[in-house]
Amino acid sequence: MRWILLLGALTGLAGCPGNGHNGGSSTIGKGGGSGTLPPVPNEIKVDLPNIPSKIEVTRSAPTEGNTPDKRSAILDVMKAENDREIAVLRKQKDPAYYLAYQLVEQRIVNMEAEGGALVTDADDTARNLDVEVRVGSPELDNTRALQDDNNNFNAPLTRRGAVPFGDDKQALSNALWLETDRRYREAVSALGYVRQDQATLSKRTQAPDWSASKAEVYVGAPAKLVFDKSVWVERLKRCSAKALKGAATRGTCGVTFQQYTTYLVNSEGSQIQMSWTHAQLAVSAGVKADDGQNLSRLEQRFGRQPADLPSEAEVEKVIATVTGDLDALHKAPLAEPYVGPAILEGRAAGVFFHEVFGHRIEGHRQKDTTSGQTFASYVGKDIAPEWLSVYDDAQIQTLNGLQLNGFYRYDDEGVAARQVSLIDKGKLVGFLMGRNPIKGFGASNGHGRRSPGLPPVARQGNLIVEVAKSVPRTDLEKMLLEEVKRQKRPYGMIFTDISGGFTNTSAFAPQAFKVNPVMAYKLYPDGKKELVRGIDIGGTPLIALQSIRAASREIETFNGVCGAESGWVPVSASAPSLLIEKLEIEKGFIPHDRPPVLGAPSMKKEAP
Amino acid sequence: MRIRLYHAALALLVIMPAAVGVEEDALAKPAPAPAAAGLGPPSKAVTDEILDAVSQEMNRAMAQLQIGQNPKPYFISYKITEVDVNDVAANLGHVTSRRNRHFVNLEARVRVGLDPSNPHKLDNGNYVVPQADEIDAVSTINLPLEATPRIARRAAWLVTDGAYKEALIQLRAKLEARKSSGVRNIDVPSWTTEKPVVSETPVLVVPLESLDELEARARLVSASFRDHPVVRDARVAVTSYLERRWYITTEGTAVTDTRRASGVVINANGQADDGSALHQYFLRYGHTAKDLPTDDDLKAEAKKLVDNLTALAKAPIMEHYTGPVLFEGEGAVGLIRATLAPHLGGTPVPEGLNPTEAKNFGGALTDKVGDRVVSPTLTIVDDPTAKVGGGKALIGGYKIDDEGVAAQRVEVIKDGFLKTLLTSRTPSQKGQTSNGHARRTADGGVFHGSATNLFVSGKGGVPRKTLEAQLIAAARAEGRKYGLIIKQFDDAAVSSAPEFSRRELVQMIKTTDQALPPQATIAYRVYPDGRREIVRGVQLKEVAIKAWKQVLGVSSDTTTYNFLNATESQLQLRLTGGTDDGFVPSGGIESSIITPDLLVNDMDVNGTTAGEHPVPVVPKPIVK
Repeated sequence: MRWILLLGALTGLAGCPGNGHNGGSSTIGKGGGSGTLPPVPNEIKVDLPNIPSKIEVTRSAPTEGNTPDKRSAILDVMKAENDREIAVLRKQKDPAYYLAYQLVEQRIVNMEAEGGALVTDADDTARNLDVEVRVGSPELDNTRALQDDNNNFNAPLTRRGAVPFGDDKQALSNALWLETDRRYREAVSALGYVRQDQATLSKRTQAPDWSASKAEVYVGAPAKLVFDKSVWVERLKRCSAKALKGAATRGTCGVTFQQYTTYLVNSEGSQIQMSWTHAQLAVSAGVKADDGQNLSRLEQRFGRQPADLPSEAEVEKVIATVTGDLDALHKAPLAEPYVGPAILEGRAAGVFFHEVFGHRIEGHRQKDTTSGQTFASYVGKDIAPEWLSVYDDAQIQTLNGLQLNGFYRYDDEGVAARQVSLIDKGKLVGFLMGRNPIKGFGASNGHGRRSPGLPPVARQGNLIVEVAKSVPRTDLEKMLLEEVKRQKRPYGMIFTDISGGFTNTSAFAPQAFKVNPVMAYKLYPDGKKELVRGIDIGGTPLIALQSIRAASREIETFNGVCGAESGWVPVSASAPSLLIEKLEIEKGFIPHDRPPVLGAPSMKKEAP
Repeated sequence: MRIRLYHAALALLVIMPAAVGVEEDALAKPAPAPAAAGLGPPSKAVTDEILDAVSQEMNRAMAQLQIGQNPKPYFISYKITEVDVNDVAANLGHVTSRRNRHFVNLEARVRVGLDPSNPHKLDNGNYVVPQADEIDAVSTINLPLEATPRIARRAAWLVTDGAYKEALIQLRAKLEARKSSGVRNIDVPSWTTEKPVVSETPVLVVPLESLDELEARARLVSASFRDHPVVRDARVAVTSYLERRWYITTEGTAVTDTRRASGVVINANGQADDGSALHQYFLRYGHTAKDLPTDDDLKAEAKKLVDNLTALAKAPIMEHYTGPVLFEGEGAVGLIRATLAPHLGGTPVPEGLNPTEAKNFGGALTDKVGDRVVSPTLTIVDDPTAKVGGGKALIGGYKIDDEGVAAQRVEVIKDGFLKTLLTSRTPSQKGQTSNGHARRTADGGVFHGSATNLFVSGKGGVPRKTLEAQLIAAARAEGRKYGLIIKQFDDAAVSSAPEFSRRELVQMIKTTDQALPPQATIAYRVYPDGRREIVRGVQLKEVAIKAWKQVLGVSSDTTTYNFLNATESQLQLRLTGGTDDGFVPSGGIESSIITPDLLVNDMDVNGTTAGEHPVPVVPKPIVK
C-alpha cells in the first residue's frame, strides 16, 4: 500500500481533549553534555554552548479528572451489548477474540466570512460508531496484511455508522448489533483469505497482529462549548473585510468550534468516556501569481474554548501578517533549485521533523511489507547529532504557554497516553506504537489514533525536538552566513513558515520527503534578505537528520492536523530553529493557468 | 453528501390552464404578487443589488473578455441558486440527523463560437473533453448569505474568467475531435436562438416546516419499527426545502423562480430466512407538508412495510417467467421511470462520451419522431406548468427551466405516435428550439431535455379488477399457470442499505448489469382462482423501448407519484445513496409521473437472490 502522509493546517479538523485540569507546570529538559556528531562527510566543526533550549510544559495524566458520577448510560448500553455479542462470537467456529465499540459524538460549528460577508454558517452534530472485530488469535488474525493486496480488498470496510442520539437502549443496541454482525461476517471472510495467503508464503512475519492491553476505566465530565454566535459573526465580518485587501482575491476569517464526547468499550473490560472542546481561528488570504502559482497565506490560533482565542486587537496583527506576507509573495521572484545551508525556523523545523522523522517512526510502517522501513534497522544507532533528542508526549497540554493540539488522555484503542522517547542523544530508541506489535516492540505506547470511520494505526501526538546545546536565534543567522562562505554559496536560505508536506514511506518509491515552504528567504552575505517563492524542500530522511548542525534556544510550535491512512488527527510539532548544513531546494509545482484576464472589478462603491 | 441543485415546484395549489408556448409578455408582466397569507419573505441573500452587480460584471466581460486572437464569448449566462433545507432523519424513535443547510451558489456558463459572424453554428457546448470532463465552460462559486454586492461582483468576475478559459479549451478539443472522428449532423447548430424572457418579480412560497416539526414526525413514525424482530434496520427521513433561482443572460433574459417541496421517506430492511436482503420503502413528496400523509397514515404505512417484510421473509423466490405482467400503481410509475422516461429527451448525446456511457444515456427515440413508438392506446404529455395531477400536488414543475426558458406543455406521444421530444437549447435537429425542458445535467456542460410532470394516459381504461382478470387470461393464453403483478420497484437512492464487506462491494460492481431495471420490491403471482402469492427476487430483464408496443390494457384509475430522479445509475446509488448513513436523500431532479396501471405482454422476468448474507449468529437485541 502506498501512503502519502500529509500535514496540513486545515480548518475544521483539529481537536484537542482535556477538561481544564492542568497537571501543574513542570520543566522537561536535560542538561547539556558534550558529544561527538555523527560521522558525515565534510563535517563542519561547530562549538555549541551546553545550554538546552527552553521547554516548559504543563501535563495532565490520563487518570486526572476521572469523575465516575458523570458516567453516561451510553457506556452501560455499549458494555451490555459488547458482553452479549462477544459471549456468542467467542463460541463460533471462527471465534472472535476481541470486540471494541467506539462512539464519537461531534458537534462542529463552522463560520466563515469573506471580504466582510458571512459565507459559511454551519452547526452540525453527528454520532459515529466504529466497531472492531478480531477473529483468529492475536498471533494471526483477520487484519494480517496479504502478500498481494494492492487494492486493499481484505481490509475492513468501515462506514459512517449513523447512531441515534440519546441513550435509548433499544435504538443504540440495534445499531451496535447491526454493525457487529456486518463486521464479524467480514472478519471471518478476511481471515479465510489470510490463512490461504499464509499457506503460500515462503517467509512469514514473526510479529503477532495484536498486543494485549490493560483494561482502563475512565469517565470524564461532559464538556460544553460556550460562545455568543452573533458576536463571532460580527467579529469575523470585520476581520475578513480587512483580510481582503491588497493583491488578495480571497480573504477569509473563519472559526471552527468543536465539542467531542467519545465512548469506548472493549471486550477486555475498558470503559472510557472522554469529553473536550476545541476552538480554532483561521485568517487566510490568497491570490494567483502572474505565472499561475496559487499563493496563499494562512495563520491559525487555537484554544480550548472560543474565549481562549486571541482578542480582536491581537487578530489585527495576524491579519497584518497575512496580508503583508501575501502582498510580498505576490511581488516575490521565483527561486531556482539550490543545495546549500539553510535555517528552518521553529515552526518550519517542527513540520520538517513531523514529516521527515515522525511518520517513519510510526511502528506499523516497520512491519508493512510494502513500506520502506527506513528506521527498522537503526534501533540503538546514531541517526542525529548527539545533543538532539526527540520524544512524543500526548500528556502535554501546553508548551511554553501555548496549547498543544496533540493532547489526549487515551488513544482510540483504549491505551493511556504517555511520553515516548524516540531519539535519545542522537540514538534511535523507540517507535510510536499502537496495538499492532513489531519486532522488539511488543506493546502499545498509546499512539493508536484515527478519525471516526477508519481503523487506528500508530500516529504522532505532540512531537517535541529537544536540544542540549543551543545558541540564541540571532546567532544562528551569523552561523548560516559563515556556512555560506565556507561552502562558497552565493546565499543561504531561511524558511520561516511551511504549510505542510508529505513523505513517502512505500518501498516502491524513493524514501523521500517534500515539504512546502510558504515563506522562504535568501540571506545574502551582506545580510540582505530576499523573499522568494515557487520552491519545495526535498531530500531523504537519514541524510537530512545528519545534516543538522545547530539549534536555537527558542522553541516554536506548529499546531495542525495530520492526514494518513487512519484519517486526520490533531497533532503538534515543537522544535527549535535549526541550522542545516545542506538542504536541497527543488522547483515547486506551478499550475499553468494564468490569473484572471480582466483586472479586478472596482470595489469603490462599497469600500469601507 | 450530495446537494440537490434542481428542485422543482411552486407552492400554490391552483390548477393552471395548460399553457402551450408561454408568451414572453405573459411572464414579463406578472400580476403583482398577492400578499397571500402564509407566504414567506423574498430572499435576503439575492437582492436587486446582487443581480445588478453580476450584470455589471457580465457586461464588462462581454465587452472586454478576450485572450489574444481567441474568440470572445458570444453568450454568457449566470444562474444564482439559493437553497434552504431543513431535514431530520430518525431511527427507532430517535434522531440520527437534524440540520439546516442554507447556501447560495453562483454559476457562470460561457459559450465561444468558431465563426464570429455565426457563433451558434459551432461552439464549445455539449462536448466531453477526453480525460478532462471537468472542463465544461461552467464555473461555480458560493456567495454570502447576506446580500453583499462587492463580493458578488468579485465572484462573478472570477467564475466568468474560469468558465471562459474552459470554453476555449473545450472548443479547441471539440474541433480537433471532429477533424479526426467526423461530425454528426453538420447542419445542426450547437445552440438555439431563443427570445429573451424577463420575469423579475420574486416568487414567494410557503416557509419551510421547522426542524422541531420535522423531528417530531420523524421520531413518531420511526418508533413504529421498535420491537419488530423482522426489521433489521429502519429509517424515517423528512425534509422541507426551497430553492430560489435567478437567471441572467447576455441575451437579455432576467428571470426568477422558486421551487418548494416537502417529503417523507420511510425505509425498512429485513432478511429472508435464506439470508437474502429485503428492502421495503415508502416515499411521498408534495409542495408542503400539507400534501403529505398524516402521522397516522404514515404509521399505517410503516406497519405495512413491517407486514411486507414478514411476508417476504418466507416468500418463494421468483422463477423464470415470460408472459404478461400487470404493473400496478407505483409499479407502472417505476416501469415508466426506468424504461420510457429516459428516452424522451431530445438533446443529443454529448460528443466525446464513451460508447458505454452513451448507451446508458437514453435517447432511444431520437430518430423516431413521426413513428409509432408505443401502443396506440397511449398518449404521453409532459407538462412542467402543471401544479396538480390526479388530484395531487406535482413537484416536477417550474416556471423557468435551467436555461432560463419558459416551461411549456408538450404532447410527446399521441395515440402511440412520437410527435416531438423534450428539448433544451442544444438541438438535435436543424430548426429545433427549446420547449423549456432543460433540467438534467450531463458531462459536456449543457442541460438536457428531460421529463418533468409526465402524464401517461390510455384509451379504454378498465377497473383494476378487470385488468387483473385480463392479466390472468393473457397469462393462460401464454400457457402460464399464473400472471405476475409488480406493485413497486426498488429505488436505490432511497432504500440502499450497504451492509456489505469490501469484497462484496467489489463483486457487486463487477457483476451488476446496469442496463437492467431495478428489482421489484413488491410483486405477486396471481392464480386463476384469484389467489395472490407474494414473491421475492423479481428481476425484469432489459426492457427495450419496443416493449412499449406490447401494452394490452390500462386501468381507469391513475396513480400520481412524486420522486427525486437521480441521474446516477442504480448501482452508483446503491453504493452511495440511501438513508443508511442517517441522512436524508436529496440527490436528483424533482419529477412526477401520472399513469394508469399498465398490462404489458411478453415481459421476461428472472428470479435473483443477489445480496444474500448469512443469518446473524447473534440474535437481534430486543429490549422490552
